[in-house]
Amino acid sequence: MKRYVIVWLCLLTIVALEVAVTLSHPPAGWLLAGLLMLAFIEAALGLLYFMHLKYERRSFMWSVILAVVIAIVLMDHFWLDAFRLLHQRISAP
Amino acid sequence: MAELTAVREPSPFGVTSRKLGIWMFIVADAATFAALLFAYGYERVANPDWTRPFSFWPSITNGIVMTVVLLTSSLTIIAAVLAAQAGRKTSALRWLGATMLLGALFAALHLREWIVMIGDGWRPFRNPLGGTPLVGATFFSITGLHLLHVVTGVVVIGVIALGYRRGRFEPGHLETVGLYWHFVDLVWMFVFPLVYLMNMR
Repeated sequence: MKRYVIVWLCLLTIVALEVAVTLSHPPAGWLLAGLLMLAFIEAALGLLYFMHLKYERRSFMWSVILAVVIAIVLMDHFWLDAFRLLHQRISAP
Repeated sequence: MAELTAVREPSPFGVTSRKLGIWMFIVADAATFAALLFAYGYERVANPDWTRPFSFWPSITNGIVMTVVLLTSSLTIIAAVLAAQAGRKTSALRWLGATMLLGALFAALHLREWIVMIGDGWRPFRNPLGGTPLVGATFFSITGLHLLHVVTGVVVIGVIALGYRRGRFEPGHLETVGLYWHFVDLVWMFVFPLVYLMNMR
């Protein structure tokens, strides 16, 4: 149980870091990058320890992770269109 | 008897079919939430009049409390699984009860926030601050789907706890529902920074 309490404390610390980073009001791009990096660290801790992927067979762990990563990579194709609209956009009334 | 060979094959990953099943669900559900968050990102980038509805007090503070509650519920369900695996049934049931209470508290805090926002004029298709209505649409759809997962989780944990008390379910069932609950927690680790913190004024 001690191991899980340590992971839980790490997760709480990361949440505190996320809030601190947001309160420092960095540019939106930097804030997004920082928050995403911290969220992925949180997710990795949750997957490996709380969801026990660390203790499953490697083949199982990588099958699960790769399936999600491939799905996420395939979703990235429409960002080009979002940024096209960003550069086209007109000011709000 | 050669035709029965395939039936007797061991699991390719060395896990029970129950655990493999919940992981397949988790992978599919992760793709669903990822699609919603990507759509939100697209709308956010593409819309010139995106409004940031949240101030530190009370919205972000409420979100921090919700996050702590959900993270703690992940810890209590681990305690339940460990107690069940050690044969301590009463202790496992108590921890399951604690997890349900924390899940219900999370849902109550979330609903309270929704009620306040709706009172302020926010709707899935209306923005009281005058910007794009997509702010409300993405907020209510993403947090609504997550809330549905939380409420479903609380009910399923209750069903499993009842079955475990009656001897119909074993510790493996608790582990399976625990995996689902951790996944709900894991999704919130992305929802909180992307939907709340990125929208703080």
